[in-house]
Amino acid sequence: MAIGLIHYLALAAALFLVGMAGVTIRRNSLIMLMSIEIMLCAVNIVFAAYSRVHGDLSGHVFVMMNFAVAAAEAAIGLAILVEIHRLRRTVNVDELKTLME
Amino acid sequence: METVLFYLFGAMTLGGAVMTVASRSAVVSAVWLVFAFVSAAGIFALLAAPFLAILQILIYAGAIMVLFLFVIMMLQGPVLPAERERRGLPKLLVLAAPAAAIAVIVIGWLARRGVTAFDGPPVEAGTAARVAELLLNRYLLAFELISVVLLVAIIGALALGRREEDRPWR
Repeated sequence: MAIGLIHYLALAAALFLVGMAGVTIRRNSLIMLMSIEIMLCAVNIVFAAYSRVHGDLSGHVFVMMNFAVAAAEAAIGLAILVEIHRLRRTVNVDELKTLME
Repeated sequence: METVLFYLFGAMTLGGAVMTVASRSAVVSAVWLVFAFVSAAGIFALLAAPFLAILQILIYAGAIMVLFLFVIMMLQGPVLPAERERRGLPKLLVLAAPAAAIAVIVIGWLARRGVTAFDGPPVEAGTAARVAELLLNRYLLAFELISVVLLVAIIGALALGRREEDRPWR
């Protein structure tokens, strides 16, 4: 069976949902950040797949933008995490509810 | 050939992602994530995007994951106790539900419409030269703006990383 657009979209959707499940069920904020990276990667696959369908390389440009956003997100997220850890000695999000109280 | 490679890389990417989410230790998660990202580079290569495949390995599997591993290394030890999972959410069920939903959607779609294969003339591969041509002409403004985003991220990370007594805004 030939591989078509729908296969790539299904793969991306599955990846995105796995990442979403990770953000939802894991309590370790490091792993939650990694799950966000998985979701961004799924988005990149969709961009590349549609770029191939339309024969237009603009999608590749936006994947590169996405790389930059992912790098910025990881850098800031990890910096915040290190800071939280220094203040509270934990990275478990269940124990971080000062803003809520 | 493409079919075999797609299913191989797809299974590796998905498997790596699932193991990332399901692993108990953050280090194991990070290593599985590297695996998933390298496999995703294979998917990009299949999509006629060799430059993106290289970037995926360089940036994601290289730079970002090294950053993650460094932070894990700094936080690891007595400070990452066994994680208390949320109760009432069996992990396997939560992971299996999206997979089942996707399978149902895909099967339904295939049954209705048949497969839309990539047809038409073969597209030009997204080599570095081709992508750069677009990036530095049509998307020049976006390219410059994304560098501002990166600059702000650098400044933000530096500001967050300073010792408390050194912060000028205290």
